[in-house]
Amino acid sequence: MLSKIRESGNSWKNGTVKNITFIVTKDCQLACKYCYLVGKNTKERMTWKVAKKAIDYVLEREDEFREESVIWDFIGGEPFLEIDLIDKICDYLKTEMFRRNHHWFNSYRFSFSTNGINYHTKKVQHFIEKNHKHLSIGITIDGTKRKHDLNRIWKTPEMELGIQPKPEDEKGSYDQVVKNIPLWLQQFPDASTKVTISSADLPYIKESVLHLYSLGIKEVNINCVFEDVWKEGDDILFENQLTELADAIIEQRLFESHSCSFFMEHIGKPLSRERDNQNWCGAGLMLAIDAKGNFYPCLRFAQYSLRNKPAWIIGNVKDGIDQNKLRPFLTLDRTTQSKQECIDCEVASGCAWCQGENYDAADTHTVYQRSTAICKMHKARVRANNYYWNKLFRKLKLEGRREEFEKQKSKVKNPIC
Amino acid sequence: MLTYLIILLDDTSTSYCHYEVNRKKRNLISIEDLKAGIIWAMKENLNVQFVYPDYELPSEYLKIIDSLDHTDIKLFRNGKYADVVVLNGWGDDVPEGATCIIRCCRKELTEHIPVVNNWLKRLTRLNVVLTDVETFKDSDISNYSDTLSSLGKNIATLYASGHTPQLNLLTDRLMLSEMNNCGAGDTSVTLASNGKFYLCPAFYYADEKDCIGDLHSGLDIKNQQLLRLDHAPICRQCDAFQCRRCVWMNQKLTMDVNTPSHQQCVVAHLERNASRELLIKLEKLGVRISNSQPIEEMNELDPFNIVNRWK
Repeated sequence: MLSKIRESGNSWKNGTVKNITFIVTKDCQLACKYCYLVGKNTKERMTWKVAKKAIDYVLEREDEFREESVIWDFIGGEPFLEIDLIDKICDYLKTEMFRRNHHWFNSYRFSFSTNGINYHTKKVQHFIEKNHKHLSIGITIDGTKRKHDLNRIWKTPEMELGIQPKPEDEKGSYDQVVKNIPLWLQQFPDASTKVTISSADLPYIKESVLHLYSLGIKEVNINCVFEDVWKEGDDILFENQLTELADAIIEQRLFESHSCSFFMEHIGKPLSRERDNQNWCGAGLMLAIDAKGNFYPCLRFAQYSLRNKPAWIIGNVKDGIDQNKLRPFLTLDRTTQSKQECIDCEVASGCAWCQGENYDAADTHTVYQRSTAICKMHKARVRANNYYWNKLFRKLKLEGRREEFEKQKSKVKNPIC
Repeated sequence: MLTYLIILLDDTSTSYCHYEVNRKKRNLISIEDLKAGIIWAMKENLNVQFVYPDYELPSEYLKIIDSLDHTDIKLFRNGKYADVVVLNGWGDDVPEGATCIIRCCRKELTEHIPVVNNWLKRLTRLNVVLTDVETFKDSDISNYSDTLSSLGKNIATLYASGHTPQLNLLTDRLMLSEMNNCGAGDTSVTLASNGKFYLCPAFYYADEKDCIGDLHSGLDIKNQQLLRLDHAPICRQCDAFQCRRCVWMNQKLTMDVNTPSHQQCVVAHLERNASRELLIKLEKLGVRISNSQPIEEMNELDPFNIVNRWK
């Protein structure tokens, strides 16, 4: 049935949600090679005192945090390493939102991005049972074993001393993660996973997306890293992989029940300077809090996320938010931060950027210099995406179902990371 | 377009703007750098403004400075004949017909309204540079408005009597039909006594490493477009044309050079609104300001609230 054609990007209450991120720990069991969190460590763990202060700060200011709903986001490192703290935070949040008769009570979610390693543990499962109705949990599994294990390797004690293991000594985490997928999908049948593509992963994109579908994951959100890591020829390899993936999805009719965020009908079109001038990224609308009690416009502005620049701290739990430091984010638009080449680009729609990466890669201390490291990969994606939709539309037309599809397709908004 | 080169002759050169000069130790620009700076300015077709320290320069320096048309910015006691005189304080007996700068906090300005009124009888122009914009609070709005209003009444009286001095806070907006701001890094750059270029003196005093080139390699202004009005989302739609739009304060308070702080916006809008009141008064008195256009009534003091894309 065409009503089953699935598109990704429909997030919970999109547009009226405050996203508040607790960076509960900067530690992780893994040392993924593409991870943008370059300053992970075992020392910076959030205390209950800091978490409580942050919660009280936010809930006391209902007039300032007026969004209809809230996503309390827990991130690391690996957030489930701090399950005791998280459980305490969530209990306190529920109690306080109720006690204060806060408008977010019954309009909240607890959200997690986890590596999945501790998912089955008693404490995590007890937490899931307690909060299931309000939970969104994404387990990151990168695809086939060989692709997953290429990047998502176990951290060794030597790594903390700056000593990298030899390639032959690296140990991938696929086996420990994949065994938790059935439990996860049983508890969250509509769950999606987030796949990250770096240069080394490119040959494995097709097999990985299809593998994730075969595991029962229906929605695969996938993106290339924003950092400047792309080599000569990577765009061609990428385009070929996506074209092969497009063929497989269409031939196996997977488009009826599964989605892959690489294929979106609206991408690859020119954008109007005036009408399509909105910023891509939601940095500044979010609030991230770290173990020191510092506030950030998004976790990508915390020091552990930055290679070259100092942290962009907008306040702390004691002194509150310095609204001046949010002003650059809240007035950002697409054209002011873009080069002329991007403004004039004929395939501009869907070309993403990360404000944190823009800041980190910028020549000066600014969020107004858009990094274009991803340009050739976006163009390759657009070519494969055009191929996908032309092929799919032709197939549907031949089957007499194109019109029905056109009527039923949903409007997909830019995802806010 | 780059039009001005400001040359700080010494580390102790007087401040004529928002920044403080906390250095006590003299560090005179080398004679070679001074010559090279002047030649560079001539080749780039720039107007040169020299900022002097509070001591007499060696005669060979004065001779080199005098080798081109220029503007001198000096402290009052050395500034009897300067183009721009920076006043030491409220006790100064200002030179007749001069252009002067007084750096002060809002409280001092309020307390010295009669002094300003007297100065305006003698001066061609007075620039008041507030040194405490960054600590401005919304609870200060009423006081600052009253101060501006009081100064405006005096100016209206002076204009009605045929004397037309300029006070930057109030009369600049009457004569402007577009933004006329500081222009650091866009229309002007600064050569410091270390032979390096900076966006303005404030950047030099804040961090010497924050240079934008030197006399040997020339200018290298990264993200220069962000210093222009068209790349400043709040300022480009604002009509507080007299605002200094200080990019150094922007960097300091909002961490981005193209984004003004709430404080800078509110202060500029109070001045804009007081200019509007003054214009209405002058019209009632039958005084016409050439090229002046009506200033619309506006209740919003911070244009960020209009520009904020996510409110």
